[in-house]
Amino acid sequence: MGQMTNAKEKKEEKSEVELELKLLEALEIYPPAKLRGIHRHFVLYGLTEYMCRSFNRPFSADDVLKLLDRFYNLEMVKPDDEDGEILNQEEDFRLPKSYFLEEEL
Amino acid sequence: MDSSSSEESASDRENSSGEVPESNSKSLFSEGEKVLAYHGPRIYEAKVQKAEFRKNEYRYFVHYLGWNKNWDEWVGMDRLMKHTKENVLKKQALNKKVGVDKNTKSGRSAQAKSKSPADAKVAKEEMKNNDAKVTKEEMKNNVAKGKKRRADSGIEDNPVEEKLINIQIPSTLRQRLVDDWEFITQQNKLIKLPRSPTVDGILNKYLEYWSKKDGLMTDAVGEILKGLRYYFDKALPGLLLYKTERQQYNEAISDNVSPSSIYGAEHLLRLFVKLPELLEYVKIEEETLIRLQQNLLDFLKFLQDNEGTFFLDAYDDHLVTEESG
Repeated sequence: MGQMTNAKEKKEEKSEVELELKLLEALEIYPPAKLRGIHRHFVLYGLTEYMCRSFNRPFSADDVLKLLDRFYNLEMVKPDDEDGEILNQEEDFRLPKSYFLEEEL
Repeated sequence: MDSSSSEESASDRENSSGEVPESNSKSLFSEGEKVLAYHGPRIYEAKVQKAEFRKNEYRYFVHYLGWNKNWDEWVGMDRLMKHTKENVLKKQALNKKVGVDKNTKSGRSAQAKSKSPADAKVAKEEMKNNDAKVTKEEMKNNVAKGKKRRADSGIEDNPVEEKLINIQIPSTLRQRLVDDWEFITQQNKLIKLPRSPTVDGILNKYLEYWSKKDGLMTDAVGEILKGLRYYFDKALPGLLLYKTERQQYNEAISDNVSPSSIYGAEHLLRLFVKLPELLEYVKIEEETLIRLQQNLLDFLKFLQDNEGTFFLDAYDDHLVTEESG
């Protein structure tokens, strides 16, 4: 049934392509590997904000993940090695000196 | 015979590759040589302190010029380049390119001294994404920018954005952190677990509060809260406990139990002390970072507004060989 207006189809297609291109652009800053490490939520947040700003409309994190799914099977992406390392050592919490130097409230 | 000569050369080859420590292959770099070394996404000036032939390859112990020796490490040939003009240009180009990321711990104090190996290692990880050194101890939020860069090799010419996220903890909460320190480290007390509300509970309450306030950004805020919870669960044992709390932790947290379902505001607050440090590993655009910062500040304000219900005023005495509840 080719009676869908071709113009409309084309327009939708175009905007889909635009979405995808923007996403791929965004991945330069927010790479998939980072979406698998401990910072994943913040990376996703950044990615989502990027899309919101680019199209000047709301995006949800889920929207972005769905879009990403067209290009990556995120589960198969290897997390960035460095990300885990901050937590590999056990270190005692230390309150910075600045907390002690200030005047009493 | 032909075969014997080829046998000979075969065994020769065997010998040279397997046994001789100073192998037939000459080391590309020599001790004391100034080189360029990759560390994370950037290239730094370094000096070879030692060269060793291990497992069929040369390994070099390098010291990064201008950096605390805690950063010294063993690297392979793949990380090093000769210090030629050409390579220096490469370095500048790469650092400039990578420099777009906002993480340059340049803001940190000049004392990049790590008190413990653990510090050094963590700080090293940060270095991987950033240019300047980190002193966890001096992790003040209002840190001067740019100081560290000068102490760096000085060849950094890229105007890197130094956007260390500044999370100003409200004064009453800062006081709580001091009290917390006092109770645990000076009075040998402990926080009774499990807490109520838990970190989970607090985060959920905040999300509720937010969605009533502003239906629009709820998704974004939700993601940030997920991020906080994730950090909390992963970072608690590694970063957020005082020494005397470790036993309690081991008793309270088993495999299936998440810290965010046991611990409460007191430990969550400690996460905020560490948060700028954690976030430094994440490349985020400046504009987004500002938003994030605003959200985090709002969250802190929420904690402050609910101080009475979220925080403990008194801790428990540490009982020896106490089995947790």
